[in-house]
Amino acid sequence: MKLSVVIFRMLLGVSLLVASNVYGEEDSAGFDWLKVVIFAEHQTDYSGAFVYQYDNQVNTSRITHVIEKDGGYEKLESLDGPQREIVRHHGQIWSHLDHEHEMEQVGSQQARGKFPSLLPEQLSSLSANYRAKLSGYERVAGYNAQVVLFKPIDSLRYTHKIWVHTDSGLLLKAAVLDSKNKLVEQYAFTQLQIGGKIDRSWVKQGARTGLQGSGFHQQHDTSRVGFPVNSGWVADGIPAGYKKTMEIQRPMHGNHAPVTQIVFSDGLSAISIFIELEDGDEDDVEGLSGRGAMNLYHKVVGKYLYTVVGEVPPQTVMRVLDSIRNNGS
Amino acid sequence: MKQKISALMDGELFEDESEVLLDQIKGNQSVRKNWAAYHLIGDVLRQPEHIHCDLSAKVRELMQDEPVLFAPRGRAIREKTRAFALSAAASLAAIGVVSWMSLQIGPESVPRMAMQSNPIHPAKAEILPKSNDYLMAHQEFSPSTDMSGGAYYIRTVSYRTDDIQPRNNPGNK
Repeated sequence: MKLSVVIFRMLLGVSLLVASNVYGEEDSAGFDWLKVVIFAEHQTDYSGAFVYQYDNQVNTSRITHVIEKDGGYEKLESLDGPQREIVRHHGQIWSHLDHEHEMEQVGSQQARGKFPSLLPEQLSSLSANYRAKLSGYERVAGYNAQVVLFKPIDSLRYTHKIWVHTDSGLLLKAAVLDSKNKLVEQYAFTQLQIGGKIDRSWVKQGARTGLQGSGFHQQHDTSRVGFPVNSGWVADGIPAGYKKTMEIQRPMHGNHAPVTQIVFSDGLSAISIFIELEDGDEDDVEGLSGRGAMNLYHKVVGKYLYTVVGEVPPQTVMRVLDSIRNNGS
Repeated sequence: MKQKISALMDGELFEDESEVLLDQIKGNQSVRKNWAAYHLIGDVLRQPEHIHCDLSAKVRELMQDEPVLFAPRGRAIREKTRAFALSAAASLAAIGVVSWMSLQIGPESVPRMAMQSNPIHPAKAEILPKSNDYLMAHQEFSPSTDMSGGAYYIRTVSYRTDDIQPRNNPGNK
């Protein structure tokens, strides 16, 4: 596993020489580390405990990630607070929350390749909207890490700082900062085992039974899976550099009418727009809320409920929502 | 320079850049006039009920012609006047800051900015559990998932240890 990462980095070294004419050399090296992270993430078995921190909240969780013949499997378990568990495979997600006593498939990824990587167009929008800076080496969870800083050129997106394991290319720590350099959220491994003997009994059980035997509940109902549409909804307030990566109609919240979801990404963060018919539910709270780097803005406009979610500053989700319109196609 | 002023008004400058520019505006008469002119243009385009224009030169001119009064006054009254003048100046400054902030980020965000200055309480309303569906649906397609595997799904299931106080949502108008 490690060897493939080394070879990948050597190949990137060549591309760095070519690319350094286009972008600043340091920018290019920074973006190459991002490619290394994405590559390593889809190549490596690991298991470790990490903390996720935002505001004055700290959550500790364990993540186990193994590569099988049919792709990667991930298990995320909470170590404190109410028991919660998420299993992910090929974009299918099963979650088990304390109060539900049943694993439910909550989502299914659409049209995402088996091996996601930064597309050339995403890379060019990244370099157009972020300055990448190598910020030395630090130790995280006992490993050496290269620190890379991605500073946006405007205040419509957050600063991202990543700590990448220099040998395996795994992301050891990631922080999101606002325009005043104040920490918005961070996630960091406190203990991590890379490769070696990692418990995968939960995968074998799941692969055979559709994860049902282990208390997981998978629904093969196709109505739960979204399909691509051309909805005619647009938002001119999307900041420069965000490209539309997805436009689907998907079922949400049980039996309600399908919801249109449009996703935009600038390579480091994404903004999702949800449009659904307003069902007159008084519980639908309008306004802004957030958790860590995630901000969410709801608003009822006419007969629709608009929702904008993204790991972008509050003013960005508000600006995007206020620009939503249907071009009547 | 004009481009920079325009960028500042649109909130597109970083904080350090804005500070340098604001210092220049303070120190340079012609830059200050540009700044005022841009705002006047913006105001006219927005067609508000009142249009602000720079009266300061006119007022100063008229003040020169005002006769100076040398009538003796009690100390207490003088103190009171000074206190009033100070508080008037402070509130004017506050109005200036608030309107400048609203120019920067739009009217909705101003209360949020004010709330963020208090580090003890979380800066915004916590996402309600019923909105987790949206977070989950978004996380599927976020680049952060490609970088960290499933670790960022923690955002969709994380919980608070303290009780969440219901509060007026700052996003509402």
